[in-house]
Amino acid sequence: MNQPTSAIISEELIDEIIGKYQNKPGFLLSVLEEIQEKNPLKYLPAETLQTVAAKLNLPYSRVYGVVTFYSFFNLRPQGKHSIVVCRGTACHTKGSKQLLNEIGHSFGMNHQDENSEASFTTADNQFTVRTVACFGQCAQSPVVEVDGKIYSYVNSQKLLKILENVKKNGVQKNFSVNTSR
Amino acid sequence: MAMTVAELELLKNKNIERILPSVPMFLVGMSTCGLGNGAESVYQSLEKEIELRHLNFKLKQTGCFGYCAEEPIVMMYQPQKPLVVYSRVNEKDISAIIDGIIKSKIYRKKILCRIDFWDHLTSKIEYGKDYEDIPHWDEISFFKGQKKIVLRDAGFIDPESILDYIAVGGYQALSKVLTGMQPNEVIDEVTKSKLRGRGGAGFPTGTKWSIMQHSKADVKYIVCNADEGDPGAYMNRNEIESDPHALIEGMIIGAYAMEANQGVIYIRAEYPLAVKRFQMAMQQAREYGLLGNNILNTGFNFDIQLVEGAGAFVCGEETALIASIEGKAGRPMPRPPYPAERGLYGKPTNINNVETWCNIPVIIEKGSDWFTKTGTERSAGTKVFSLVGKIKNTGLVELPLGSTLEKFIFEIGEGTGNNKRIKAVQTGGPSGGCIPVEYFSTPVDYESLSSLGAIMGSGGMVVMDQDNCMVDVAKYFLEFSANESCGKCTPCREGLSQALAIMNKISKGEGNFQDIETLELLTRTIKDTAICGLGQTAPNPILTTLRYFKNEYEEHIQEKRCHAGTCESLFLALCENSCPLHMNIPGYIELIKEDRIEEAFELTLRDNPIPGTIGRICHFHCQMRCRREMVDEPVAQGEIHRYLADTMYQLGKENEIYNRLIAEKLPSSGKKIAIVGAGPAGITAAFYLVRLGHEVTVFDAMPEAGGVLRYGIPQYRLPKSVLKKELKLIKKLGVKFVFNTRIGKDIFLQDLKNNFNAVYLAFGAWKDIDLNIPGENAKGVFAGTDLLKELSLDKTPRIGQKIVVIGGGNVAIDAARSLWRLGKDVTVVYRREKIDMPANKDEIAEAEAEQIHFRFLSAPHEILTDNSGRVNALKIEIMTTGPVDTSGRRKPIATGKFEEIPCDTVVLAVGERVDSAPFVAEGLKVTKDGRLIVHPFTFQTSEPNIFAGGDAVMGPATAAEAMGMAKRAAEAIDWELMKEKRFHLLFKKFEYRNVIPTDIKKSPKNVSAKIQVKERIGNFHEVSTGYTGEQARDEVNRCLRCDVKVN
Repeated sequence: MNQPTSAIISEELIDEIIGKYQNKPGFLLSVLEEIQEKNPLKYLPAETLQTVAAKLNLPYSRVYGVVTFYSFFNLRPQGKHSIVVCRGTACHTKGSKQLLNEIGHSFGMNHQDENSEASFTTADNQFTVRTVACFGQCAQSPVVEVDGKIYSYVNSQKLLKILENVKKNGVQKNFSVNTSR
Repeated sequence: MAMTVAELELLKNKNIERILPSVPMFLVGMSTCGLGNGAESVYQSLEKEIELRHLNFKLKQTGCFGYCAEEPIVMMYQPQKPLVVYSRVNEKDISAIIDGIIKSKIYRKKILCRIDFWDHLTSKIEYGKDYEDIPHWDEISFFKGQKKIVLRDAGFIDPESILDYIAVGGYQALSKVLTGMQPNEVIDEVTKSKLRGRGGAGFPTGTKWSIMQHSKADVKYIVCNADEGDPGAYMNRNEIESDPHALIEGMIIGAYAMEANQGVIYIRAEYPLAVKRFQMAMQQAREYGLLGNNILNTGFNFDIQLVEGAGAFVCGEETALIASIEGKAGRPMPRPPYPAERGLYGKPTNINNVETWCNIPVIIEKGSDWFTKTGTERSAGTKVFSLVGKIKNTGLVELPLGSTLEKFIFEIGEGTGNNKRIKAVQTGGPSGGCIPVEYFSTPVDYESLSSLGAIMGSGGMVVMDQDNCMVDVAKYFLEFSANESCGKCTPCREGLSQALAIMNKISKGEGNFQDIETLELLTRTIKDTAICGLGQTAPNPILTTLRYFKNEYEEHIQEKRCHAGTCESLFLALCENSCPLHMNIPGYIELIKEDRIEEAFELTLRDNPIPGTIGRICHFHCQMRCRREMVDEPVAQGEIHRYLADTMYQLGKENEIYNRLIAEKLPSSGKKIAIVGAGPAGITAAFYLVRLGHEVTVFDAMPEAGGVLRYGIPQYRLPKSVLKKELKLIKKLGVKFVFNTRIGKDIFLQDLKNNFNAVYLAFGAWKDIDLNIPGENAKGVFAGTDLLKELSLDKTPRIGQKIVVIGGGNVAIDAARSLWRLGKDVTVVYRREKIDMPANKDEIAEAEAEQIHFRFLSAPHEILTDNSGRVNALKIEIMTTGPVDTSGRRKPIATGKFEEIPCDTVVLAVGERVDSAPFVAEGLKVTKDGRLIVHPFTFQTSEPNIFAGGDAVMGPATAAEAMGMAKRAAEAIDWELMKEKRFHLLFKKFEYRNVIPTDIKKSPKNVSAKIQVKERIGNFHEVSTGYTGEQARDEVNRCLRCDVKVN
């Protein structure tokens, strides 16, 4: 079963969110963060950005500039499951780059661009793999977050098990992977 | 409705029972690191068990106690008893822990420490005294010497309860300020405390506040920077998650002092729990009249708003942070104007880091005099560091400023916790630098770290070991900074990406020496010209690695190798990369799998001329980096090539391959090469050089070839016949040997220079190091290497019956096991612990099986003699273990207790050194300890046509290391003589399958059979019989083929 590949949230909801943050510090970021969160595919389609710009009386370029500046915002739909590999220093020293490559391979992706890290969504929109600068979970590195749950002391064997489980069981709940050292 | 000061006091007294209840209570550490390790299910299990048993117990979530490696941590409270701290708790322990309270006999497993009392600084909590056999928290390595000022409450109070915070004296400092101090007085106190910004730059906080106070405006802002973006640092996350009210209190005090009434906290979105807990804390503070209007009924108004960052490292820079709060892209502005004049929305703004704010309530409560007692003259107080990476005890460490790096990494962190060596520590994240282990006596303060080219930064401390490549680390940070560059100024935007392109080239082995200079010039320019801190400091990781680890850059460029095994384009597989000879291990493994034994042997032989020998006695560097370890244990690569060689020799098929090598010898070059020393290095160099068409003559002082293999390693490990067989090949290839000839005595270096085009010195390290204790020259004291040499010549040394061997290396174990075979009673005395012995682990295990006695932690003190001057005992001093030292092992510490071990013979085997005197006499340069100095890539000594390698250069190393070095030297010598690339002609490409095995199941490594212990007495028969065919076939299938790239 494929995921839908686009979704747009309603103007009413956008109004409501804007109303909530208006005139507060950081309001544009907060507004965009919440709108993205409310989008079922966790992204900000161009239409939404245009609506936000118009409602806030800001140039579209300003809104677009903000969205592209921060890594939190997605311009493309995200997969149903998210796999986030921490690329913090502690994780790096313990082999997170290799983990990232292995995840790519397990989805048949081959990352070539040496100037940036792999980030992709599978064609069926089931999985998005991306990196984060650091989760701050450094003491238990390397860590990988799958659907919001952080797994500690991951290695490629453990990772394969986690991914197999996610692939097999779809939304994974409460399955436990041994996180012992 | 605003709470009054009196009501706050009342609330404090009333709620102390939350901290010291009259019933038992469990505290579960539930910060991100605890939760990431199963704290939630521990909490739920406790909850269920308490309910199920209808117990009147309390249960509380707390923040993090700091020892993240030991999570989940549960503290057990019983009235009038010390807190008992359990570590690595899981659901299965819960029932037993609860039983322990009920039966008044506490559960003894998994106890980390006890806590009799705790100083929250804002109050003191006495728990009780008992369980004195359990170490107090500040007696265990991780906490010893830590001083918890910032983390004063972390792990003890519920961060989601304001009443817990009030109960331990929270908001008392605020009350003191609002009711009895003028803003100026507050600023004076902060100034006198010498508190400096904990975000990393170290600007004096009092000065910053004073400037802000003098800025007059209708609205002023104070901001808490919680955009902890340094990868590898998570102190701020934990400070907020564990004690959010301390931060709020600090901010309110700051607002009062600087006469601001609006506050903003900017927390990164990657910290959802910190965001949640801070929001709850603000809400509760408002409910209790501690935030908002008329705080504590004093008429002071102040409130805080929370802004979530959206993932941009540069927003940690204050002007970028302001832009971000204003809802713009976070691009920095040149300063001045400083935020104190024109900041958020154009108003005066003061920005401080989380930890800076957290220090404020304590400074007010205890006074600046108290605060300055901790730390150094210029850097007062403590700093919290996140100690992570290749370190045993990971976690948050709070130490007085000025503590040494050694204290952090070896005493608190206890080294790597395995046999890997620590190489460096990285402080300050992408803005910081890598400090090599040689500088670990440096105190950690702002100025000292800057002088090393690093920075203190916000507190990340990432430890790197021998498996981390410093070129890769520099590249990693550069990649990070280049990605995070906001793009506003050219030096940073363009410069960093150009520098990254160079780093990528180098890490792929495509760099040149010019690149290093370009990199240096480029990064220095960026440092001088970028607008903001990001660009100005981004070059630091490059500059420090260039400063301290230039050799690694050069290895990537010149040798095209990454010795740490990180830069993937530069090696086949980790085992191959770790092997000093760079044997194509996956290759011969696959060929064996395909039943192509002869080809497997040929491939092996081209990489290593004595595979049967090395397969027996190698230190097996390959096994130290095997991917199989992730599943169970490393593949026994060495046993496999021993099997390969033995099988070929049994079948008599080796000659065919020998003949092939002879036939393909390159035509005579007309060059003559002399090699000094027929040990592992000498014969390896000879093997390659003769095949390149040179005329090679090997000189050796002994009557046969083999060096340490022949005259050091006992026959029960390496039978003479195996070595002899393998050395025949060298002779067959046409190498001439001149035996019984010692340089400096029978022949001189000058003669060799005159008669040969090149000379390769590989005479080893044979001189025993003296112990320098009284009695060393007594009758009955022998040197380990001398004894082994005598035994190898089939002589029976004239020694006594009761023997003590001093030392922990292979020579000591070899001597002990040899003498045991002669029926002697042998005791090995070693000053450290068993785990610290440098000898091969298998050899130690066999020695134990042979019931050789060991005395660990025993330092030789004096050799005692009888009236005739003969040994009659060894006096030892009993040692105890201290903290971990820079070698990664626990320091032996003298106890002052002595003991005598009666014996008639003492064997000294505490190490060997190089005896280079004859060569020094002929003008060669050596190190202080006598090793020959050579160029790292050409292997030339101080004289261009004299080359050297092996132990003579490295000092005592492994046979494989000596051979690996000789192999590279052979290539270098050939280049020097011929000025043409020819070395690759000696190797051959074998085609084999490249298929990754699937469905990996656990299967431990095959262990070869050994002859029974009782059958070993009175002879030197080989102990290990090697693999059977079945074992070998099974073992090759354990290889994961990590050399196969999926692309």
